[in-house]
Amino acid sequence: MADIAARNPAGHPTQQRSGLHKLMQRKSTIAFLMALPLILLITILVAYPAGYAVYLATLNKGMTRFVGFGNFEFLFGRDTFWLVVYQSCLFAITAVIFKAIIGFVVAHFVHNIPAKGQRKWRGMLLVPWVIPPAMSTLAWLWLFDPSYSALNWLLAIFGIEGIPWTGEAGWARFSVILVNVWIGSPFFMIMYLAALKSVPEQLYEAASIDGATWWQRIWYVTLPMMRNIIAITALFSLIVTFANFDIVRVLTAGGPLNSTHIFGTWAFRVGIEGGDIPLGAAVSLFMVPILAVAATFILRDITKRGSEV
Amino acid sequence: MANTAVATGASTRPNYGSMSRDRTWALRWSYFFLVLFAIFFLMPPIYMLITSLKTSAEISAAKNPWFISNPTLQNYIDLLSQNQFLVFFRNSAIVSICVVIITMMISVIAAFALARMKFWGSATLATGVFLTYLIPETLLFIPLFKMFAWVNEVFGVQLMNHWWTMIILYPTLTVPFATWIMIGYFASIPKELDEAALIDGATWMQTLTKIFIPVALPGIIAATIFTFTVAWAQFLYPLAFTTSTSELVLPVGIITTLIKGDVFNWGQIMTGALLGAAPPLIIYAFLMDYYIAGLTAGATKG
Amino acid sequence: MVSMKVNRRRFVAGTAAASAALVAAPFVRSANAAGKLSVGFWDHWVPGANKATEALVKEWAEKNKVEVSMDFITSQGNKLLLTTAAESQAKSGHDVLAFSTWLPARYADQLVPMNDVMEPLIKENGKVNDTVEYLGKLNGKWLAVPATAGSQIKGPCSRIDLLKKHAGIDIQAMYPAGQAPKADAWNLDNFVKAAEACQKGGNPFGIGLGQTSDSVDSAGALFHAFGAQLVNAKGDIVVKNDQVRQVLDYYKKLMQFLPPDVPSWDDASNNKFLVSGQGTLIMNPPSAWAVAKRDAPQIAEQLWTHGFPVGPKGRYAPFLPFFWGVWNFSKNQSAAKSLITHLSQASSAEKMTNASQGYDIPSFEKLTTFKVWAEESPPKGTLYHYPNPHNHQTLSIAAAPAPHKIAEQIYTQAIQTQMVVRYAKGEAMDKTLDWAAKELEGFSRN
Repeated sequence: MADIAARNPAGHPTQQRSGLHKLMQRKSTIAFLMALPLILLITILVAYPAGYAVYLATLNKGMTRFVGFGNFEFLFGRDTFWLVVYQSCLFAITAVIFKAIIGFVVAHFVHNIPAKGQRKWRGMLLVPWVIPPAMSTLAWLWLFDPSYSALNWLLAIFGIEGIPWTGEAGWARFSVILVNVWIGSPFFMIMYLAALKSVPEQLYEAASIDGATWWQRIWYVTLPMMRNIIAITALFSLIVTFANFDIVRVLTAGGPLNSTHIFGTWAFRVGIEGGDIPLGAAVSLFMVPILAVAATFILRDITKRGSEV
Repeated sequence: MANTAVATGASTRPNYGSMSRDRTWALRWSYFFLVLFAIFFLMPPIYMLITSLKTSAEISAAKNPWFISNPTLQNYIDLLSQNQFLVFFRNSAIVSICVVIITMMISVIAAFALARMKFWGSATLATGVFLTYLIPETLLFIPLFKMFAWVNEVFGVQLMNHWWTMIILYPTLTVPFATWIMIGYFASIPKELDEAALIDGATWMQTLTKIFIPVALPGIIAATIFTFTVAWAQFLYPLAFTTSTSELVLPVGIITTLIKGDVFNWGQIMTGALLGAAPPLIIYAFLMDYYIAGLTAGATKG
Repeated sequence: MVSMKVNRRRFVAGTAAASAALVAAPFVRSANAAGKLSVGFWDHWVPGANKATEALVKEWAEKNKVEVSMDFITSQGNKLLLTTAAESQAKSGHDVLAFSTWLPARYADQLVPMNDVMEPLIKENGKVNDTVEYLGKLNGKWLAVPATAGSQIKGPCSRIDLLKKHAGIDIQAMYPAGQAPKADAWNLDNFVKAAEACQKGGNPFGIGLGQTSDSVDSAGALFHAFGAQLVNAKGDIVVKNDQVRQVLDYYKKLMQFLPPDVPSWDDASNNKFLVSGQGTLIMNPPSAWAVAKRDAPQIAEQLWTHGFPVGPKGRYAPFLPFFWGVWNFSKNQSAAKSLITHLSQASSAEKMTNASQGYDIPSFEKLTTFKVWAEESPPKGTLYHYPNPHNHQTLSIAAAPAPHKIAEQIYTQAIQTQMVVRYAKGEAMDKTLDWAAKELEGFSRN
C-alpha cells in the first residue's frame, strides 16, 4: 500500500511538476522527521546493539580474537545445540498451535453466549494475559512443586498418582508449554473474538441457505474471513515465543538433562553462567535470520491481501 | 465446538433456521466449556490468593493446599509495612507512566507518518518495526552494558543501576507494537477526512491532533494499556541493569528480595506476586472494553 | 534494606581519586570517590544474617570516616552472577563485590591482587583449605579473599528418628556432639543400604541430581570419594576411567532409592523435601534446619548435621566458598582492602557466623570452633559437626583439580549429575562416557 504513494511523483508527470514535486518532497521530509524518534530509538537501542552482538558472536571466548563463523561451527558440532534447536521449535510451534486452537475455541464459546454475559467472561478469561508473566510463572512453579504440588494433590483425589511436572523430560516439556499456552491464549481469544464479530452475518445466512454444515461454515466462512488476523496473531506470538526466557528460566532452568532449554535460556547458560559471551550471542542469533525471512514473507502476504480487500 | 457457528447466527438473529433445541444445547455446552476454561485460566491466581493468606507453618504442614485453616493477613501487613516494597512500587509506577507517555508520543506521531504521509522507505519501516521483536532481549543486554560503559566514559553519565534507565530501555519493547496498532487504526480512517482538512489549510500536525487523535482515541487507549502492561511486567532488563534495592522495580524486587535461595517463603512470595499483578489488573478491570476494542481494531484493520 | 545511597558523580571522582591517592590520610573524607565506597554483598538466605555484616561495615565506616553504600544481592535466579557480568562488561559498579565460587578465576584479569590482605590473615587465622586456595589463588596471586558470609559445607543433614527407625542407624552416636566422630562404619555401602531402607520405609533420602549447585556439589563429593576425575589438573580429558565407571554404577544403585523427580531438583527442592517431613536425609548447609525451626519445629528437633560417608578414596565434603574481591576499575582500592581486612578478622567472622545461626563457615583453619556450632539447638549440638571441626573429611569442590576454565564449565553445566542421570536412566556406560567426553572437549576451547 505504501508503494503506491511513494511512486506518486513518477505517476504524475509534466504539469505542475516542480510545485508538486516540492510539495511531495516537503511532505516526505516532514513525515521522515515525524518518524525520526522511532527510527532513532530502534537504531540506537535495538539495531546497533544487535549489530554489536553479531560482532561479539564472531569473537573467541576471551573476546580477544576474531574467529568468524568459528562459534557457529563449534555449535553445529554439538549435540546439545541441536537438542536446543529441536526443543525451541517444539516449544514455540506447539505452544503457538495450542494457543491458536484454545483461543479460537474459547472465542467461539464466548461469541456463542448472549451478548449480556460476554463482557464478564471475556474479562475473566483475559486475566492470565494481564498478570506479569514473572509473577504468574511463580504461581505455576508453586503449583508444580515436587514436595507441595497442589495439582498432584487434586489428582490424588481422583486416584491419579503424582505427576513429576518438572521432574521428567517429557512432563517438563509439557509443563513449560502448558504455562506458555496459559499466558498466551487469552491474547488469541481476544483477537479472534473481535474478528468473529467482524464477519458479516449475511455470509453465514448464505452458507446455511446453501445447506452448509457447521464445519463447512467454519472452514469456508469463518476461517477465510479471519485469515489475516490469524496470521498476524500467530506470527507475533511465534516471534515472542521463540524469544521466551522467563517461563523456562523460572520453571525448569532448562532441566532435567537440558531437555527444556530454549535459545534464550541456553544462551544465558552458556553466555552468563558459563562465561562464554560470544557463544551465547551466537546461540541467540541463530534463529533471527530464519524467523526474519519467515516473518517478512508472511507480512508481505498480509499486506498484499490487505490492499486487495 | 460443534454448533457454535450455527448458534452464533441464531443467538443474534433468531429468524433463520429452526434450531432452538440445538441452540439450547449449544448454549449449555458453551457454558460448560467456558467454566472449564475459566477454571484453567484462573487457577494460578486463585492459588496465589489462597497461599498468600496462609502462615508459613501451615504451608509447611502440607495439608490440603486448597484450604486455609487459619487465614491471616500477616503476609500483606509484613510486605506493605516494608519500606523497600513501597520503593519498588514507586519505581515501577514512575517507570511505567513515563514509558507510556514516551511510547505514545513516539508511536502516534510515527504511525501517522507511516500510515498517511509516506516517504522513501516508509513501507519497509512499517514492516521493520514489527521485526524488532525478532531480536531477543537476551541478545541485547551485553552490548548494552558495553554501550553504557562508553556513555559513562564519554559523558560521565552512569546508566547502570538506576531505575530511570528503564525509561530509556522499555520503549524498545513497547513502541513497535504500539506503532503497529496505531498504523492499523489510522489506516481505517477514511482518507477523505484528512484530505478535506488539508485542503482547508490545516498543517499535517493539526490534521493529526484535530482529526486523527480524536477518532483513534480507542486505539490510543488500547495501546496505552498495552504499553503499561508490558512496562509493568518487564523482567529481564531490570534484572540485568539494576542491583540496589532502591533501584529495583516491582517484579524484579519481589523475585530477588523475597525468594532467598533455598529458604522459600511461599506465603510472602505469593503475596508479593499478587500485589505486583494488581495494578495492571485494576487498570484493566476499568478499561477492559477500550483495551479489547482498540487492540483488535488496530489489528483487524491493519 | 540499607539505604546509604550516595550520589555518584564519576567524572569528578576520576580526577579526585588520583589526587586523593597522593594525600597521606588513608581514605580522605570529602565529596569524592576516596571518601566513598560501594559494596555488593551476597544476600544471605538465613533471615537476619545480613545484619551482622551491616553492623560491621557501619562500624568500619564510622571509624574511617568513609561513606559506604551497601547492596545485598541475591544469588537467586543468578542475579549476583548477572550483576558481576554486567559490572565486568560495563567496567563500573561496586568497589567490593561478593564473588561466588568460580568467579574470581573467571574475572582474574579484572581483579586487584589481594596478597597483601591474605598473607597477614593467614598468619593470624591459620591456613585456608585446599579448595579455597584452588579457587581463589592463581599463579601465586590471591584474586579475592574468602568471605565468611555465604561460605558453607554441604554435608548431610538427617532425621535422627527416621534413620533409627528405617535403617537402624544412630547418627548421634556416630557424630556425637562435642566429640570426634566415630563414623568408620559410615561408608558408601552402608549409605546406600540406609537409603534403601529409608525408601522402603517411605521416607527416602533427598539427594538432588539437577543442575544447580546443591546437586552438583553432592555429586562432586561422591565423585571425589571414588577418585573419579573427568579432567585432570593438566587439562587432559580422562573421563573414560574405572573410577568414573564405579561412581556411575554406585549412583545408579543409589538413584533407585531416591525420589523419581530428583533430576529436576533445584537448591530449594531438597529443603522443602526435608521440611515437609517426607525425607530422611538431604545434603545441605543448615538453612533447611533453620527453616524447619521456624515453620516445622517438631521436625527441626530431629535434625542432625553430620559428615559424608567414606568412599574408596576417602571422605569428601563439598565446600562452597564465597569471596570478596575488588575490581581493578574501582576508584578506591585501598579503602576496599581495608574494609575486607576488617570483615575478615576472627571477631568479625564470629559475628557473621552467629548471625547466620552457624550457616557461615570462615575458610581459615583456626576459625572452625566457634561456640555457636556447639550451642545451636534444637537438638543441642545439631551443628557441632557442620564446620568439620575434627578435619574428619576433606573439603572439596566438584570438578577440581581441572583447570579453572574447564572446571567451571563442568560445574555450571552440571556434567557430573547429567552423566549420573543418563546412565541411571538406562543409557549404556560407553555412550554416557562418550557424551561426557564430547562435552568436555567443547569446554577446552579458548
